[in-house]
Amino acid sequence: MATATYPPPPPYYRLYKDYLENPKSAPEPPPPIEGTYICFGGSYTTDDVLPSLEDQGVRQLYPKGPNIDFKKELRSLNRELQLHILELADVLIERPSQYARRVEEMSLIFKNLHHLLNSLRPHQARATLIHILELQIQRRKEALEDIKRRREEAQRLLKESLATLDGQ
Amino acid sequence: MDIISQLQEQVNSIAALAFNTFGTLQRDAPPVRLSPNYPEPPPNPTEDSANFAEQPKLMSAALVKAAKQFDALVAALPPSEGGEEAQLRRIAELQAENDAVGQELQKQLEAAEKELKQVQELFSQAADNCLNLKKPD
Repeated sequence: MATATYPPPPPYYRLYKDYLENPKSAPEPPPPIEGTYICFGGSYTTDDVLPSLEDQGVRQLYPKGPNIDFKKELRSLNRELQLHILELADVLIERPSQYARRVEEMSLIFKNLHHLLNSLRPHQARATLIHILELQIQRRKEALEDIKRRREEAQRLLKESLATLDGQ
Repeated sequence: MDIISQLQEQVNSIAALAFNTFGTLQRDAPPVRLSPNYPEPPPNPTEDSANFAEQPKLMSAALVKAAKQFDALVAALPPSEGGEEAQLRRIAELQAENDAVGQELQKQLEAAEKELKQVQELFSQAADNCLNLKKPD
């Protein structure tokens, strides 16, 4: 068993020799990467988006379009799934060697179902953001009212105490 | 768990139930006579046939229940008002309102802190005067 020593650390440390005296004499950190980058031989992208079904080579069963009615499509995919289960049962009784095509169709429906559910996530994220912003606005308004009330209370107390002292 | 994760779990469980149903029935099915040319298959031990008759019923009932559960979950999804642009517009509105309220809050806070400092100053002066006027015994 051959062992190799670890590679030496990169020689950039010499550039930071005078960092304590003059922070500007050392090079700036590299800017954040945008777009695609390669890491350990694999290519990644900074733009996180759900790849569409065609990109994965899967036929899309529900209609494309700007606004999809998720509930209707989910329900109709569910019914399709049940029908395919029954078809598989029939095929297994009569022509058992042809199960592969039916199983493939069932897995197609499952992939469509999961893709539809995954595409609901950005919508959910935006709805969560809206909810958080509304809560924050409500809390800020309550804090505002609280401060106003306390200030008025303090003014009132001062006036009262002034009246008490004057009457003395 | 949030509704979408529940839906995903439900889809996976429907898949598991469906394929388990077929697998179990195929594995445990008693042999059946296919053609009159071949003799009757040997009778199998009774343990199989006793439980075996209800298994298709039970498993298909579970499958149908899971499918109904999925439909119930889909109905429980919150209504998706508008689309992406409507949501983004609402987010922009809420951000603007949040900023306005935040600035108002900041103003009130500064005024309140100023008043607090004034009162503290006056209080310390009054306390000093009290100490100076009080004659030592």
